[in-house]
Amino acid sequence: MITAIAYQQWLHLRCGLLFWLLLGFGQLLIAWLAFAQFETFAEIAPQLKAAGSNLGATELVIVPTLNSLVLLLLVLVPLLAMGSLASESRSGRLEVWLTAPVHGYQVIVGKALGIWLASLPILAATLVTLVLLGLGIAIDWRLYVLAATGLIALALWLSCICLLFSTMLDHPAAALAASLGSLVFLWLLDSFGEPGATWHRAALLPHVRPWLEGLLRSQDIAYFVVTGSAALLLATYLFDRRRGIL
Amino acid sequence: MEPLLRARDVGVGHPNNPRLDAVDLSIHDKDSVAILGANGAGKTTLIRLLAGVGAPDRGEILLNGQVLQRASAGVRRKIGYLPQRVPAYPELTVDENLRWAGRLHGLRDTALCEAMEQMCTALDLDGCRRRLAARLSAGMLQRLGLAQAMLHQPRLLILDEPTAGLDPLQLDQIRSLLRALADDCALVLATHLLDDVEQLCSRVVLLESGRIRLEHRVTPGSDLLALFRTGEDNPPLTDEASV
Repeated sequence: MITAIAYQQWLHLRCGLLFWLLLGFGQLLIAWLAFAQFETFAEIAPQLKAAGSNLGATELVIVPTLNSLVLLLLVLVPLLAMGSLASESRSGRLEVWLTAPVHGYQVIVGKALGIWLASLPILAATLVTLVLLGLGIAIDWRLYVLAATGLIALALWLSCICLLFSTMLDHPAAALAASLGSLVFLWLLDSFGEPGATWHRAALLPHVRPWLEGLLRSQDIAYFVVTGSAALLLATYLFDRRRGIL
Repeated sequence: MEPLLRARDVGVGHPNNPRLDAVDLSIHDKDSVAILGANGAGKTTLIRLLAGVGAPDRGEILLNGQVLQRASAGVRRKIGYLPQRVPAYPELTVDENLRWAGRLHGLRDTALCEAMEQMCTALDLDGCRRRLAARLSAGMLQRLGLAQAMLHQPRLLILDEPTAGLDPLQLDQIRSLLRALADDCALVLATHLLDDVEQLCSRVVLLESGRIRLEHRVTPGSDLLALFRTGEDNPPLTDEASV
């Protein structure tokens, strides 16, 4: 049932205009950013070689572009997720979801997977564009694949978080605002207070950056698993409460 | 005989200002019941509760003896529900919308395809299966909604104002369809159109300010307008017809 619901969510998003706009916009933005990085790299490459630096295209072009891709995901996934349940209540379809003979967790997990599936083509297209633009340049493939995996995992985590707000609120715009607000807060959290403050552990960036730089740590995986699962559980609770089960 | 669906002392809202209060209603197999009332009488609130959208604040709703909200998937599958707004994805085709509704109610593979074929033929949707739901006329969209609700062959069909916003020709089509469907399953519909009650239902429940004012069997010649106006049995409604 979860796969059927995920497929339906993906189909619904894929047939909408927003998906194609985001796909085009993502491509354009990443191509522009990558070109700018490549241009700068081409200018400084002779100086780096002369200085005997170990820094290559991966460190100076790929990693910064992937960092920009994280920011793109922070905007893109909330846009895809905003209507997943919030717009259903305005279209009459929520009543069908609420009365359907399925468990609440199946609806929530299915919808989260559907949003994630819709974000994958956009992510894949930008990753492929990045590689194609850098053809002929030596890329550290291990780091690239690890960073790509990190971005795919981040997209899944974002799907869970944004779905929670779509379950909480009845208006897609409100769900979008709440999702973006929370993600920006998590993004900036580590820039407040003294360095090493306790709450910095909840910040998003310190858990994403090592992954993009080729360092996969158990604490980062635990952060995404725990917060993502908590979002799904809370969304399921809210959904079941609407059904009158709780 | 145990009713298929039973609302027992159901109330919604604050006890001092309830949207529904002390509603008792039983629906048996092959019943066709109209919930009639003016705007704001609580028709949609009651119909949503009967379909399983949310739970009442007081009382309970039983489906086959099980509390509806906690009933198993198999028992819940006995209900087919069409809300006031047809729950279709406008950017998907008729076929895709039907497939979604079928899968949601546990139909798979061959069973789903057969049910879709059967429903499209029965509801005259064969010619527009690849058309986007957004491009359907109001009558066609209503037929799609009915097909979605009926696809899994429920024993009880719950409809919220199924004829609202239709032109006379579409009204006639939908009523004919509902009459045919009512032969196979129990039918509960909320409406404020007396013609719907006369043509489709054998029993009418009049709601007023969230309370059941009266229940009445619909017979040919029933003066439903008088019933609606006064909320009392009138001479044209014979006593033996009362429930």
